[in-house]
Amino acid sequence: MVMACRVINKRRHMGLQQLSLLAETGRTFLGPVKSSKFITDEECHGNVLVSSTVRLLESLDTTSAVGQLLNEAVQAQNDTYRTGTTTLLFLAGAWSSAVEECLHLGVPIAIIVSVMSEGLNSCSEEVVSLQVPVHNIFDHMGSTKAISELKTVSVSLGPFLQDSSGASSVQEKHDLKDVAPRFTFYSLSGRPVKSSEFFKPDAKIEAGENTSQTLKSSLHTDTCFRKSVLVHSRHFNRTDNNQGIHKPDRFQELHGATTFQTYRCSDLAELAVGLSHGDHSSMKLVEEAVQLQYQNACMQHGNCTVPFVFDISRLITCSLPGLPETFSCVCPGYIVQVSIACAGLIKELENRPIRVVLIEGDLTESYRHLGFNKSTTIKTVLGSVKLQEDSSEELWANHIMQLLIQFNVNLILIKGNVSEHLTEKCVHSKRLVIGSVDGHVIQAFAEATGAVQVAYITQVNEDCVGNGISVAFWRNPLEVIDRNNRIAVLLKTEGINLITAVLTSPVSAQMQTKEDRFWTCAYRVYHALKEEKVFLGGSAVEFLCLSHLHILAEQPLQKGDHTCLGWLHHTSSWLASSLEIYRPTVLKYLASGWHKYLSALLYNTASYSSEFEASTFIQHHLHSAIGSGSPSSYILKEYSKLNSGIFNSSILNKLEQFPRVYDVVTPKIEAWRRALDLVLLVLQTDSEIITGLGHAQINSQKLEGFLFL
Amino acid sequence: MLSRLEAKKPSLCHSEPLTAEKVRATLCVLKGILTSCYGPSGRLKQLHNSTGGSVCTTSQSAVLLRNLSVTHPILKILTASVQNHVSCFSDCGLFTAILCCNLIENVQKTDLTATTTIKLNTHLLNFCTSYLRSEACGCRIPVDFSNTQILLCLVRSILTSKPACMLTRKEIDHVSILILRAFLLIIPGNTEDPIILGKSIIVPLKGQRVTDSTVLPGVLIEMSEAQFMRVLPVRKSSPLKVALFSTSLSGDFSDLGEGCMVVSDGVSLENAVLDQLINLGRQLVSDHVDLVLCQKVIHPSLKQFLTLHHIVTIDRVGVMLMEPLSKVTGTQPIGSLGSVSPGSYGSVKDWCSAKFGWKHFFHLIPNEATVCSLLLCNRNDTAWDELKLTCQTALHALQLTIKEPWVLLGGGCTETHLAACIRHKIYKEPGSILQDDGCTQAELQLIAEAFCSALESLAGSLEHDGGETLTDMKYGHFWTIQAGPPSVVNWTDLLSRCGCGVYNSQEELSWSFLKSTCHPFVPQACLPHETEEIRPQSTHSLTLDCLTAKLSGLKVAVETANLILDLAYVIEDKN
Repeated sequence: MVMACRVINKRRHMGLQQLSLLAETGRTFLGPVKSSKFITDEECHGNVLVSSTVRLLESLDTTSAVGQLLNEAVQAQNDTYRTGTTTLLFLAGAWSSAVEECLHLGVPIAIIVSVMSEGLNSCSEEVVSLQVPVHNIFDHMGSTKAISELKTVSVSLGPFLQDSSGASSVQEKHDLKDVAPRFTFYSLSGRPVKSSEFFKPDAKIEAGENTSQTLKSSLHTDTCFRKSVLVHSRHFNRTDNNQGIHKPDRFQELHGATTFQTYRCSDLAELAVGLSHGDHSSMKLVEEAVQLQYQNACMQHGNCTVPFVFDISRLITCSLPGLPETFSCVCPGYIVQVSIACAGLIKELENRPIRVVLIEGDLTESYRHLGFNKSTTIKTVLGSVKLQEDSSEELWANHIMQLLIQFNVNLILIKGNVSEHLTEKCVHSKRLVIGSVDGHVIQAFAEATGAVQVAYITQVNEDCVGNGISVAFWRNPLEVIDRNNRIAVLLKTEGINLITAVLTSPVSAQMQTKEDRFWTCAYRVYHALKEEKVFLGGSAVEFLCLSHLHILAEQPLQKGDHTCLGWLHHTSSWLASSLEIYRPTVLKYLASGWHKYLSALLYNTASYSSEFEASTFIQHHLHSAIGSGSPSSYILKEYSKLNSGIFNSSILNKLEQFPRVYDVVTPKIEAWRRALDLVLLVLQTDSEIITGLGHAQINSQKLEGFLFL
Repeated sequence: MLSRLEAKKPSLCHSEPLTAEKVRATLCVLKGILTSCYGPSGRLKQLHNSTGGSVCTTSQSAVLLRNLSVTHPILKILTASVQNHVSCFSDCGLFTAILCCNLIENVQKTDLTATTTIKLNTHLLNFCTSYLRSEACGCRIPVDFSNTQILLCLVRSILTSKPACMLTRKEIDHVSILILRAFLLIIPGNTEDPIILGKSIIVPLKGQRVTDSTVLPGVLIEMSEAQFMRVLPVRKSSPLKVALFSTSLSGDFSDLGEGCMVVSDGVSLENAVLDQLINLGRQLVSDHVDLVLCQKVIHPSLKQFLTLHHIVTIDRVGVMLMEPLSKVTGTQPIGSLGSVSPGSYGSVKDWCSAKFGWKHFFHLIPNEATVCSLLLCNRNDTAWDELKLTCQTALHALQLTIKEPWVLLGGGCTETHLAACIRHKIYKEPGSILQDDGCTQAELQLIAEAFCSALESLAGSLEHDGGETLTDMKYGHFWTIQAGPPSVVNWTDLLSRCGCGVYNSQEELSWSFLKSTCHPFVPQACLPHETEEIRPQSTHSLTLDCLTAKLSGLKVAVETANLILDLAYVIEDKN
């Protein structure tokens, strides 16, 4: 075994370069309009369609050390919050090139680390002013008004809008059809949208009678330009499609900013659409799921005396590829696909309460609970010479069947695998066996029916059996049968705290994306409700960070102001005294990361033909914001300006409840922190130590710059 | 049968291994790696196997040396002795390794015989240790246990010196306080002699914010959600009876060893074992046990049986928790399925279930706790691993201060101060060091210079951004300044504070570059009353080191260097 060591920090920092290159791949996922990517495996000719950072990194070959660290950071963010990964990826890239610039200017590494990390801290404190409290969100739930309002909204937006990757011609037609009313919405505002609204990429849209025309043409140029960017996605850069996609968001953002008077959010529908970030169909499902859970909780606890907490673990998805989008819905209970062979059985079980057994492990003869080590040194010998008629599996299955009959059980939900032989036997005797059931589902059934989970079916006694479950087809079985001859079944019981979201898509390649997006929306709502606060969205927070950093950079460092020094104030190193010289530069480079982020976002929403144009636009607002003295009040003011503008047109008054754009708080700030941490970690790394390599391997790789121990 | 015999290869013998160019080069690489990691602005290293294994980013000697696979015996001696030091004292690993490398390098330049150098090095080491332990020592501060300031500074210094933990200032403050609290929780309330310290268990909670970390008295046991739902609230107020099993209750058969066991048909061993388990369960019920803890797995049927009788069962506790659990509950871990003697049972005050992040925990609250759980969060695995190790180091350093209630000034000041002391001693009274060993004063001068410059360049290794390193001519403390300062300038304005943070530049000091030779002077001690004075405004920013760990590091470094210098032959078995 040989260990090699490579210096990675000579003149150009290799790690930072790798990081910014890797992060570049996720650029198009930023913002509400996401362009999907095809990842092609040259060797196996396999293709993967991805449209999220997590899936992208899963498919990329990131075996380099930096790639792995990036992957680890993104995974950690995703595991903890399920949102914010694209922000993380983009900022990691933007900041690594910013840091590299600092290195070029000769700023000592320790100062970059200290100033950047304190700069970000300061930003996180500053953006508190843009928080919107989310309180008493369920007070209005009783009134159906909000719900119906949302329904009309989602109807007008159409079910396909978030499917930027959906390229079927049918969809396009739908899109265009649905787009029409939206255009009129635009013209309804009756006045040019103020171009000073940096949050909204509307600068070019001069709303008027022929808004749609203007939009179309301006978009046309955009998409033409974009074509050259999206070289890898030959299917999904269609003009029409793009057109259809970006509008709801703009519409969203335009109206989102309109009613900002109280800066509080106390309506679930408003919160949901604000957090949808353009993905209305997923968000509609999430919102309905929250409502269902709330209603269920109210029924269980009487008069809603217990404060309602959205329990996301009691929300599951059931993906049904091949079905039209309109079939997507949420239902209380558990929807699962079973083989068509069970159809007759289900028909028979319908309309009567049935008894259930919940199994924690597998339902096979050889299964033993975790931690049970089967001894291999035990042999069984036959005492007398008698012919064994049945195999041991058969004996076991018969024994299980006896138990099921004894307790009159017609439904068995199993966390693990099920023996096929037993399943067949059960179907014959009119018992439904479902394997691979999620643990939370089992838990929910246990709570609702009083059943007790057991590891072995032999443990079952009368107290373990749950009662009162109803089984039914989900929709007409003929309608929803899929290619694999599986049908969807709905299992539920009175008061079960479980909601299934059925996700459907005619394009099966999109299923994964659809599921990911649903969960992203669900977790956004979950975090917003849990934290009881959201940020003003539409890039308001990022813009505030950008302008705050610029102001911070201008301020002279006050003696004794230790907060700006980071850990440097612990140290007496010369770095502390020369901090003042470098601080403005480093802060400005940190700000440049936000600037890049905002321009990429604006560019991605397709209202700018180049990132440069978007960047100039931001620059303009940056000047005004800094000039105004207080960027946060500037941002709030700009919000309310638009507000009054909209109110002037009386027709829009009924859209008063129309929600604005929101962002989640902690996941967002954590994504920033993780991105910066990653960059600073790589920055402070000066060598890679490669362990466990043979001599031959290194020689064959012919890598230069290795040192051996 | 065809067999092949291969002639044995003769062993290889290298004489004077240190003089070989290759050895010097690898030693130099190793030193480079270690030196670049040293201190709060040290550079990090990415450790990985370049084939997709996990990447570890670190600057800690414990992790680095564990993963470096060195080939040459000389390097092996070095790494082994440093690792040994780290396993005993946790802290000061890099200090030891770098000092050892410096000593070897400097001594080699002197052309003195190994015997002389070893003798003189030992004398110098003895001088250093006796100085650091003496009352006259000018670079140590007594620990005042009635005040948290010094202890917090010690913890904070350790945390800041590991940049791969990726902590901000606020997070460092938060974690420092947690560590100190965890340390205080494991000190027993009664002051019997000898004091037996409890244990603080670090519980991982990755992915959450560092500021979500917390310390709880008692033991936290992670459990599944299903188990979490089953935990019933405590209903009685009297102490709760606990049984702790170290044997598996999963119902499998203990290892039968070699050979085969033959069972006749119709006999079910599994059922037999299960019957035995249920019998055990009956005994537990009749003994009125309230809680059953098991290191390994409990058979689901036994669990069902116990739950039916309102006994809470927690299994898969893990071997790490066994000792603390047995300690806080006063139980004897039960190792067999036979009957349980009543003396094995212990008791707890209370328990509850708690949820942190996505994890579910069973929180055991003992009657008299000297065990606490430090629930440690960090954003990702790499940073968490580094933070965990750092916390362990800090907790260990705090424990060592109980034995020797002093801390050394950190930030390079102890090293330069020590060097100044040696220089002065050699200049004033060389005889007291030489004794009658047959070494000349000139030899002593040479070795002392090598020794001092090894210490000084160790202090200089703290500087990674091209700054100049200085020492003042009054206290012998360590200072840094931006490289290439204007020639005629008032240094008082350029410098801010010395490395440890005790003195600032306004105290009418004079400085000289560390590399230049200067006239020996008597380094003054920072007297106790002086530290009292400076305490209010500057204790927050003092950099401190653990005395015990540093003393051992110094000793290990010198002795290892002596050992390596003494090597005359390396004999290698080539077979």
